[in-house]
Amino acid sequence: MRRVRPAAVLMVAVPLLLALVGPWLVPAEQARTAPFLPDGLLGTDFVGRDTWYQVLDGGRSVVLVALAATALAYAVGVPWGVTAATARLRIVDEVLMRPLDLLLAVPSLLLLIVLATVAGPGVAVLVGIVALIAFPDVARIARAAALEIGGRPALEAMRMQGESWWRTSVVYMGRSMARPLAADAGVRLTSSLYLVASASFLGVGVPPDAADWAVMVDRNRTGLFLQPWAVVVPAVLIIALSVGLNLLFDRALRKEPR
Amino acid sequence: MSLSRYALRRLLFGAVQVLAVVTAVFLMVHALPGDAAVALAGDDPDPDRVEVIRRALGLDRPVLERFGEWLWGLARLDFGASVVSGRPVADTLVAALGPTVVLAVLTLVLLVPLAVAAGVAGALREGGPLDRALTSVTVGLHSIPEFALAIVLVAVFGVGLGWLPPTAVGVDVLAEPAVLVLPLVVLLARPLCSISRLVRAGMLDALASDYVRHARRLGVPPGRVRFAHALPNALAPAVQQVARTTDWLLGGVIVVEAVFVIPGLGTVLVDAVAARDLPVVQGLAVVFAVTTIAVNLLADLVAFRLAPRAAA
Repeated sequence: MRRVRPAAVLMVAVPLLLALVGPWLVPAEQARTAPFLPDGLLGTDFVGRDTWYQVLDGGRSVVLVALAATALAYAVGVPWGVTAATARLRIVDEVLMRPLDLLLAVPSLLLLIVLATVAGPGVAVLVGIVALIAFPDVARIARAAALEIGGRPALEAMRMQGESWWRTSVVYMGRSMARPLAADAGVRLTSSLYLVASASFLGVGVPPDAADWAVMVDRNRTGLFLQPWAVVVPAVLIIALSVGLNLLFDRALRKEPR
Repeated sequence: MSLSRYALRRLLFGAVQVLAVVTAVFLMVHALPGDAAVALAGDDPDPDRVEVIRRALGLDRPVLERFGEWLWGLARLDFGASVVSGRPVADTLVAALGPTVVLAVLTLVLLVPLAVAAGVAGALREGGPLDRALTSVTVGLHSIPEFALAIVLVAVFGVGLGWLPPTAVGVDVLAEPAVLVLPLVVLLARPLCSISRLVRAGMLDALASDYVRHARRLGVPPGRVRFAHALPNALAPAVQQVARTTDWLLGGVIVVEAVFVIPGLGTVLVDAVAARDLPVVQGLAVVFAVTTIAVNLLADLVAFRLAPRAAA
């Protein structure tokens, strides 16, 4: 067992703190000046807003959409997978799981872009689409975990004792599945973060002048030579969050007793 | 199961996948509640424009007839015409194919040897300084969004240091290969991490297995044990992962083309989405999805050939 690296914690804490607390530190009234001036802490952005305030304001959407989408994917995927695993009829399992194979065959960013084009912009739409892309994997993992647990002698004994469906399928199984599912949650969260950020960067699902780190990177690219901070700071924050989350979750996983 | 039986079964499943994707792409436009033509015409629908779009999409005819036509068109590589420019979608796609294929092929050509080398190097000295460094880097970079990495690299090497061209605007790729360095680095980052980790894990498993121990006891030279006996088994899962990274590669290509202003399929897609040019989006969706399915099919067959027992 090795200790948690402070660097990884710092990489997650700084963007997360900025994202969650930042919006409260932004003054309601903001002066607009000319684009890409070196005024203020980080200069101004492509329409003359203060970059620092945009950075403070722009993390929340990325982080919250990724979190909400991951939560939604679990809320749908886990019951889905468990139902497939515990179904008495094999056909139910097939009907539930086969379509997911098809969904997994389509490239995720492509699916996101195409669905968002048809569905139109909006935060709820983005959450729904990212959750839709993430949930087949969740369902598969939940199904595999439930199959393994369902074959255990303990569960068989409970069934023979006439324990209720609630106690066997929900209480016992839920407790046993918590660990494999938690182990996977880190991967889901970082891939949701990846999808949300990439989609926002491509202008899918968000308004073009939104205060959002990924949108900032896209919009301020024209001023890269004049005012690189307006691009580099949000990009580095996204990278730090993604790398830090990966390192932390990987560390936590390796501590699990095998 | 023999290879030919497995291939037949896998081909059938691939055909079902293609048919399902094609149907889904069709339904996406044609079975939506409301009128797609009005939605596409924008905030202030002009009746003439709505009519043009309606006719271009064939929305004035019955659904089944349109579906038959869509399938028949696809069979002849006819994706319809763009709602914006009126050009056949197939022409647009063919024109943009070149840069994307160059990027994808170069990435794959570099990816496989690099990933195998990194994975094997880590596995042969498990726990050593090189292995630990490789593990940290591959874990950290694993799901980094390409656009963020790309823009930071451009800011540092393109703008700050001035070593490499920041974009590919108006540059002939073949005349000046330096423009491809940054895009390729960005495209390689994510797949390289996941595949080298898989090769490492597979190699560790194989090296610890009974048959490798047996080969060692028989006095087979260590190099032969590692590369002729252990490596093929370690590669089977990695081959399937290479195929799965075509998914990422594609997403990466879309983003990388946008960042470096490369006029490939990704740029066509982003432009078509911005202009809400559905026939082009549909055509691209079919091309990308079919490519992904085909690559996955091929990879499953290669993996089966490398380690038949794994593909039960």
